[in-house]
Amino acid sequence: MSDTLSRVSTTCFGLSYLLAFLVELARARWPRPPLRTVGLILGGAGLFAHTVFLVVRQPTPAAAYGGTLALAWVLAVFYLYGAVHHRRQAWAVFVLPLVLVLVGLAVFAVSTDVSLAFDPTRVWGAVHGVLVLLAAVGVSVGCIASVMYLIQARRLRLKRNPLGGLTMLSLERLEAMNRRAVNVAFPLLTAGLLLGAVLLRQYHAAADNWFSLKVLGTVGLWAVFAVLLYLRYAAHVPGRRLAWLTIAAFGLTLATLVAAHPFANEPRPPGSGATEASP
Amino acid sequence: MNLRVIGCNFRTAAVDLRERLAFDDAKRQAALTELSARYGAECAILSTCNRVELYVGRQPHEQPFDLELAAEFLGEVHRLPAAAVRPLLYEHINDHAVRHLTRVAASLDSLIVGEGQIAGQVKQTFDAAKTAGTTGPLLNALFPHVLRAAKRVRTETGIARGHVSVSSVAVDYVRQVFDHFGDKTVLVIGAGKMARLTLKHLAALKPKRILVTNRSPAKAAEVAGQCGGAAVPWEQLDDALARADIALSTTGAAEPIMPRERFARHVAPKRAGGTLVVLDIAVPRDFDPAIHDGDAVCVFNIDDLTRVREHTLAGRRKHVAPAEAIVDAEVRRFVADWQRRKSGPVIHQLRTEVDRVRADVVAPLLGKLNGKLTAADRAYIEGAFRLFQNRLLHGPIAALQEADPDGDSKRLLDAVRKLFGLT
Repeated sequence: MSDTLSRVSTTCFGLSYLLAFLVELARARWPRPPLRTVGLILGGAGLFAHTVFLVVRQPTPAAAYGGTLALAWVLAVFYLYGAVHHRRQAWAVFVLPLVLVLVGLAVFAVSTDVSLAFDPTRVWGAVHGVLVLLAAVGVSVGCIASVMYLIQARRLRLKRNPLGGLTMLSLERLEAMNRRAVNVAFPLLTAGLLLGAVLLRQYHAAADNWFSLKVLGTVGLWAVFAVLLYLRYAAHVPGRRLAWLTIAAFGLTLATLVAAHPFANEPRPPGSGATEASP
Repeated sequence: MNLRVIGCNFRTAAVDLRERLAFDDAKRQAALTELSARYGAECAILSTCNRVELYVGRQPHEQPFDLELAAEFLGEVHRLPAAAVRPLLYEHINDHAVRHLTRVAASLDSLIVGEGQIAGQVKQTFDAAKTAGTTGPLLNALFPHVLRAAKRVRTETGIARGHVSVSSVAVDYVRQVFDHFGDKTVLVIGAGKMARLTLKHLAALKPKRILVTNRSPAKAAEVAGQCGGAAVPWEQLDDALARADIALSTTGAAEPIMPRERFARHVAPKRAGGTLVVLDIAVPRDFDPAIHDGDAVCVFNIDDLTRVREHTLAGRRKHVAPAEAIVDAEVRRFVADWQRRKSGPVIHQLRTEVDRVRADVVAPLLGKLNGKLTAADRAYIEGAFRLFQNRLLHGPIAALQEADPDGDSKRLLDAVRKLFGLT
């Protein structure tokens, strides 16, 4: 049994998600109940394989490979929840591409030769990682809501038939989804960033580390979030501009996610006896 | 089957004549009782704003209810000369009548194809006839079958997809922007008839407050009173618009009351975020279309709403052919079922009688051979006699089931009764 489970690869769940996405696209064009069932089965199978992969291989979420796969997993859960609860909405058509992009990044763009090991003795490092990962989930959800918002706003701007085409959530609902995602992500990111700065100062204070893409990207992301919150709550900027900014924040998130971790190329701190967890 | 539908609709009679021929509930009950008693018929009366139709079923051998009788009856009930009514009427007979009612219930014969009210009106027609006690075997079988067929058409085709009234399309647009309405403010500008209809749809969404403004304070107060809203002085239009989430505008102004510059200078700066949806159903338009950006402000005017309506109707027209195919299939099924129902008792009687004869022959035979047969032999002999019976009866039963209900059916039934000695 464990041998079978250990054979589950990124191709298994990547293909399942891809097929689920294609089925959902077909359902958007020809809305037939069996297609929904098939899509859910494929998506569910993908999530199962994805979960098995993470449990068996245990790629460290602190590294780019494990981080993108962990983020993809959270979004896959989000996709399946939404697909079940928003049966009339074209939910999967928007969420699954993001999951596929993340899985694709993990497979094709990120080295699996992880030199950063998960060290259970470094609890604060783990807390930092979890905080940043959760913030990334918030940004991703905000990005999905923003893409949907822009499409819905475009349909309204062009005065398309309100009951034609993809069935989507209202502008108000999408704006609220984006707002909540950003509101939750910002404090998490702030806490994660501060904690990361403390850890960096304490253990890896070399100047190069402070100017690594990962650190600069995360600081940039925090700044974008701050601007986003200012524009929303102080300047009352229309939703479309906020949506574009959230998508930009997501781009920055991806860049920081795949960037090499400043701790990765340094010698382990004394006492670090962690083992490699590369898949 | 001896079924007639006789009536008039929007194609054969102008609205003033349809209004004069229409039945309210009380008049319909009285007319049903009179029609049934006078002609000894089972009957139902369908009366909507677009049609008035009498459905009359009689025994096959009875004189059919015809156009002259119908004109006379309708003229008498509505106090019109029969000669004035007669040219307005059309008639459908037997399976054509079944087909007509099915198309009516499926909204294929409606002024707006696919409209959703007619199936309910057909059901009310049937309920009224049942209440009056004027339905019989034919109508009791026909109406439920037709309503099921209409449901099939609605669910299996896109004939009823989308909304085609301007008010409904307006609300569809509002729902694309807003998710819940308990915290929303609706501003009504003007007090035209169209505004009241659309306001009725918007009020059904249960907004937090409704504000009404009009150049005439008295009219504003009147409309506000009708919808449970509050009147706002016309001079405060900009402020009210800044507070509103949904604006419904139907003034009779010759020039736009809200040019882009005025909106940009006096309304937009006062708004605290959130989208404003403007339903401008005034002609000429009240709001400058340039205000529309599909994000902070969405302006939908009468042309936009009408275009969606036309688009929806065009979409529905694509589903007419599949819907007609369902109607044809359901009509064929009803006619066949009705025929089976008619010949059913005779077929049952025939089978029972031949079963009895077979038992009379087989029982003594098996008695005589008692002790010489195994259980398998007995079963084989019984099976052989049953097979013989089935093959013998196959021809007559098939002929009865397939007989043309309007042709040789009665002759065949009489022949079978006589040949097999059935009572």
